[in-house]
Amino acid sequence: MSSLATPRDGGRTSRSLVINLGSFAALLLLWVLVTTPFGERPLVAPLFLPSPGSVWDTFLMLLKNGYQGKTLGYHLGISLFRFGIAFLMSVVVAVPLGLWMGMNETVKAVLDPPIEISRPMPKLALLPLLIIWFGIGEVAKVVIIVLALFPILSISAMQAVRGVGRRKVQAALALGASRAMIFRRVIFPASLPGIFTSVRVCIGLGVTMLVGAEMIATSAGIAYMAMSASDFLLTNVVIVGALIMAALGYLLDLCARALENRIVHWGGKEG
Amino acid sequence: MQGDIPAASGAAPAVKARFDKVTKRFGTGDNAVQALEPISLDIAENAFVCLVGPSGCGKSTLLNILAGFEKPTTGQALMDGTPVRGPDPRRGVVFQQGALFTWMSVRDNVAFGPLATGKPSAEAARIADRYLEMVGLTAFAKRYPYELSGGMQQRVGIARALANDPEILLMDEPFAALDAQTRELLQEEIKRIWQSTRKTVLWITHSIEEALFLATDIVVMSARPGRIKARLAPQFALSEDPAVVASVEFVRMKAEIFGLLREESLAAQRQEAGR
Repeated sequence: MSSLATPRDGGRTSRSLVINLGSFAALLLLWVLVTTPFGERPLVAPLFLPSPGSVWDTFLMLLKNGYQGKTLGYHLGISLFRFGIAFLMSVVVAVPLGLWMGMNETVKAVLDPPIEISRPMPKLALLPLLIIWFGIGEVAKVVIIVLALFPILSISAMQAVRGVGRRKVQAALALGASRAMIFRRVIFPASLPGIFTSVRVCIGLGVTMLVGAEMIATSAGIAYMAMSASDFLLTNVVIVGALIMAALGYLLDLCARALENRIVHWGGKEG
Repeated sequence: MQGDIPAASGAAPAVKARFDKVTKRFGTGDNAVQALEPISLDIAENAFVCLVGPSGCGKSTLLNILAGFEKPTTGQALMDGTPVRGPDPRRGVVFQQGALFTWMSVRDNVAFGPLATGKPSAEAARIADRYLEMVGLTAFAKRYPYELSGGMQQRVGIARALANDPEILLMDEPFAALDAQTRELLQEEIKRIWQSTRKTVLWITHSIEEALFLATDIVVMSARPGRIKARLAPQFALSEDPAVVASVEFVRMKAEIFGLLREESLAAQRQEAGR
């Protein structure tokens, strides 16, 4: 856990930062090399891989003119909206439920079967059914993301509770704490590092589900933009869409990590 | 001690805690392990009782029973004549390690007990600061446990247990994970705290010297199933001189306990091998 969070441990030295940047620059250079026409034509035809410069131009053009009559901001906004609503709903419901399952054997016995049975199922397979149920509007897309994140968040919250050190609970009991105080001030904070880990996993998975959901029966969204551009062989737009999704996932993870470092600064350390 | 009739000098001191024919058996059927044979033991008020014994002899089980974390199979633990039913803030517990609240500052850790027992937060913070001063950690009140050394963490644990002003302190090998120098310094500090507060203490240790240095009563336990093998009453707990450890009497008692423990450790080893 602490090895993941390099900045907190000061593990990311300036040396490895230089190597990181160098590796990134090398990839970019490779992209430039295979797309620059040194003789007749570039090594890879623009239809398959346009040059970084032309992708940048397309990005600027999309910023200015939008795509299919909708601005780039609209496409991005609708994607963020779907992800945000689904993500918030999952966290707000699944985490407390998981905590409850961790605290109470009966609740765990009731909720374990549906969660465990549904967990390994690929949720995208349910999308056609959800479209029959909810139509092609926003509901089906939000529901599919929630279905994917729910079991992960609830199970990991439950595991986090069960992993709280017995001695910490005993110490709180011996200090005279009530059950409510033990939950609020010992079990819940002690579970937070584990919960944060799964929240970060869910950001990656949530963006993946978003892309899947936006590729079927939609008329807006970044993944929709890329999907429909592919029908017209607009490779530049496809790449812009993919890069925006990558940047979105990365930025969201960065936010979650910053939050994690602030709130659970003790994570992975013993005292 | 606050009876109607003042205790006459020479009278037996009041019993703070008592183990009354306590036994403990873990598991059932053929896999059952008898951890404790019937144990009866009185812990006098203001006494500093050290339990020593080979690993697995049931010392910690005994402490957990008095703390209220575990129930005896038969018999009972009593405090002030009342059977122990569960954990109680009148009995403070200090563990070897891993029991501090890592997400709270040092001050919040120590203030936890006063808050839990209903003190307003300003008063709880004042109490915390008082005990942090007692263990010399005033400057670290706002730090987090993971920022402290192992020895300082144990001092936080001790201050946290003391902050509830418990009537008895139960300490389960509190210094076992520390290096020798830190250990010796903390032993002197514990002695100073005990001499000034005269709390009743039940202390578990593997270290004969630690027991001799601190205890008014040493209880030597046998290999599993745990029984009381011997009781000794060293006189070094009241001494303020760290050099008592070099006195003839200290060394003689050390050799005596060493002999007692060695038999039991060998027995414990045979048990392990025979399994």
